[in-house]
Amino acid sequence: MTQISAPNSDPKKRRRQDRWFIIAMMAPYLALLGFFGIAPVVYAIGLSFMDTIDWVFWGFTNYEFVLNDFRLIEAIQNVFTYVAIWLTMMVVGIAGLSLMLDALPDRTASVLRTSFFLPGAITSSAIVILWLFLLDPAVSPYGALFEALGWENRRQVVSHFGYPVVFALMAYLAYSGGWIVVIGGALKGISKEVVEAAHVDGANQFQIATRVKLPMVWRSLALMAILSFANGIQMFVEPQLMSLAGSTYSRPDWSVNQLAFQYAFNLGDFGASAAMSTMLLGVAIFISLCVVFGTRFYKMD
Amino acid sequence: MAAAQKTPPLNARLGWFIVWLCLGLAFVFYATPILWLLLAAFRDEPTLFSSGPFSLGRFEMLAQTWHNLTTYNDFQIGRWALNSAIYTIGGVSLSLVAVLPAGFILATYDFALRKTILVLTLVAMITPNTVVALPIFLQMQAFGLNNSYLGMIIATAFFPFGVYLAYIYYATSLPNGLIDAARIDGASRFEVFSKVALPLSKPLIALVAFFSFLANWSNYFLAFVLLTKDELYSLPIGLAVLVSSSGALGNDVASDIPINKPEAIVAAILVIAPVLLLFLASQKYVRAGTLSGAEKG
Repeated sequence: MTQISAPNSDPKKRRRQDRWFIIAMMAPYLALLGFFGIAPVVYAIGLSFMDTIDWVFWGFTNYEFVLNDFRLIEAIQNVFTYVAIWLTMMVVGIAGLSLMLDALPDRTASVLRTSFFLPGAITSSAIVILWLFLLDPAVSPYGALFEALGWENRRQVVSHFGYPVVFALMAYLAYSGGWIVVIGGALKGISKEVVEAAHVDGANQFQIATRVKLPMVWRSLALMAILSFANGIQMFVEPQLMSLAGSTYSRPDWSVNQLAFQYAFNLGDFGASAAMSTMLLGVAIFISLCVVFGTRFYKMD
Repeated sequence: MAAAQKTPPLNARLGWFIVWLCLGLAFVFYATPILWLLLAAFRDEPTLFSSGPFSLGRFEMLAQTWHNLTTYNDFQIGRWALNSAIYTIGGVSLSLVAVLPAGFILATYDFALRKTILVLTLVAMITPNTVVALPIFLQMQAFGLNNSYLGMIIATAFFPFGVYLAYIYYATSLPNGLIDAARIDGASRFEVFSKVALPLSKPLIALVAFFSFLANWSNYFLAFVLLTKDELYSLPIGLAVLVSSSGALGNDVASDIPINKPEAIVAAILVIAPVLLLFLASQKYVRAGTLSGAEKG
């Protein structure tokens, strides 16, 4: 770390000036961090221990209440199944495709990388709408494939895939391309001498990819997995918008996030909603920190 | 590489065949949806069903679809697009104002709360939206900022991932000697930031702006919670409302709203077009700048 210091000045005065400069420069971010990062989390944790109708403290009652909601276990299973499928696809797909692209001539790799990158532009509600078309054999570019499998309409396609796989496909198409570009950039940063040395030692392309390059981008893959995990467990848009295809597709309580939303905004039970959110936060922080320290990817200094 | 030498080498031809097969299948997987979507915009409802998935439609069909879309509710979708532009430009600008100085300070000054702020930034990055959505809704209500442009802009300006990127960038890419030399030459603390660090931050600014733009333009959940007036909807929310109210994608009941499958397709393209253009323009920045610092640990 660079330590900025002005020469020939009174250390006390310099430290005071440093302090004011740090405060002034950090102020906009700290205000936002306080208002949208820290305060809401503290508020949510506080709310989770309150009866939000009479505004009295009632301990773990909200937690007991939501844990007894049979939909919660099902929602947790749904979300974790989806996240497990999606993360597996992300790690295998991104690592595999990035390493393959890195072995190609630059121009070919660049064209392919761009084609992988562009679907990332399709996000939020647009991706659900696109996939509702893609899953409908009557209009889908995959229609012939579905018909060959004997799946005649969208309902059959969705039920054969299952919601977790459908959502994992949506998320993979949207998010993997950007990470392929990012990991591609990291792979390009690997010193040519290292790769050359491995080559001289007799390693083939596969060995160079898996034993030299992969370990060197492992931290970026770990970061991707952490951010994807945190993103995945809070899924809301995809199951919520499946109802656009009609009431038979509607799953308003498929994910934990949807349940929390229902409690807060449909039932007005802010305490129960906050309890559910707080549990979700606990899981997110616990698993993320396990990965962070397990891979030591985030060294502070 | 002693262990590697003992491993029998793979058949190179078979290896390359597998590589090209995987890349070919991946290309089909990634390119098909966008290609289909763009071609489908030129077709009307009957031809979507009757002709092949990649058949070419006619420009008149797109013109009719566009007419239906723009005349519906007095060009309401145009209003939503304008709203999205306001939220995004405001959110990206404000996030840059907050992110760049914070990242610079965290990377170049040692102070008491530095580690705490870095850890809180990391925790904020992984905090599920649902945890903060309800409290933010209540906080914004208390300040009268729900259903307002300002409320949406400041809520989306909080971008901890940008601070992480800026911190990594300044910690690894700013030459130490340059900063010291500027101070010795008499530059003030702020001048070191504004005249030395900022001019070297173009890749960082592009990177933060890119991710912030993407997060803001595609933001659904926060907008869904904070915006209840339809004249303030963003484009992603408006698209969902449009398709939902018209039943364009369902086979349940036909509505009398002139929004059908082609209109849903064109509206979806309207949502993704700015991001698509940005993606085409910015790939090299994302490639060059992102996370190079993370590798250095």
